[in-house]
Amino acid sequence: MAVQREIEMKGIPTVLITVSPEVSAQMRPPRALYPDGFKIGNSLGKPNMRDLQKKVLRDALTLLTENTRPGDTVTRAYPDYGEYHEPPRVRKGI
Amino acid sequence: MTISRKCVPFTPFERELSKSTIAIVTAGGVHLRDQEGFNIADELGDLTYREIPPDVDSSQLMVTHHHYNHKDADEDINVVFPIDVLRDLESEGFIGGIARKHIGYMGYTMQLKAMYEGTAREIANDIDKSSRADAVVLTGG
Repeated sequence: MAVQREIEMKGIPTVLITVSPEVSAQMRPPRALYPDGFKIGNSLGKPNMRDLQKKVLRDALTLLTENTRPGDTVTRAYPDYGEYHEPPRVRKGI
Repeated sequence: MTISRKCVPFTPFERELSKSTIAIVTAGGVHLRDQEGFNIADELGDLTYREIPPDVDSSQLMVTHHHYNHKDADEDINVVFPIDVLRDLESEGFIGGIARKHIGYMGYTMQLKAMYEGTAREIANDIDKSSRADAVVLTGG
C-alpha cells in the first residue's frame, strides 16, 4: 500500500498485516505478514480472541527485527483462527 | 511520484522492540464515534483520514467502510485496529510504548493518483512529525 511506502520513505520502519496477499504483493510492501486464511476484516483474527490477536501482532512486530526481503510477504499459520465457529442459527418457523 | 514496482523503500529497524514506540495505521475505515464518518456515498471514495489519540477508549471507535464486512470489527475493533492488543504488549514489556498518534483512513478509492500523491504523503508526514513512532504497524487489504 502506498501509505506504507511513504512512511518507510520517511525513515520509519513499517510492517503490514495483510489479508489480501495477492493484492498487497502488487505494491511490494517493505515488510508484510499474511496470517494464512484470515478473512478481510479479520487482520488480527476473530473478535475477542485476544491471545490469537496478541500472537499475530507479536509476529508482525517481530518481522521488524528479522532478515526479511523487502517486497516479500511472510505467511504464517494460526490454527486457532480455524477453530472459531459461529454457533448454529436456530431456524424459526419449522 | 511514480511508484516503481521494483524499487521497495526499506528502512532497517535498528532498535529493540522492548524500547520502541509503535503506531497503528489502518485502511479499515476506523474513526472515533464523534469524528465525521468517511463518505461512503461518493463512488470515488474518501481521501481524508482521521487522527486517533493514544489514550482512546476502544469502545469509542467505529468503522465506516462499505467495501468489506466489518461486523467483526463492530464487535471488537481490535480485529482491524489492535490498540488494546498493543496495550497488552506494552504491559508485558514486549514493546516500549504506544505512539502519540494513530491513523484511520478508508482504503478504497478510485482516485489512485490523489491517494498516492496526497493522502499517503499526508499520513506519512503526520506520523513522522507528531506520532514519535519508532515503527508502524499497518492493517487493511
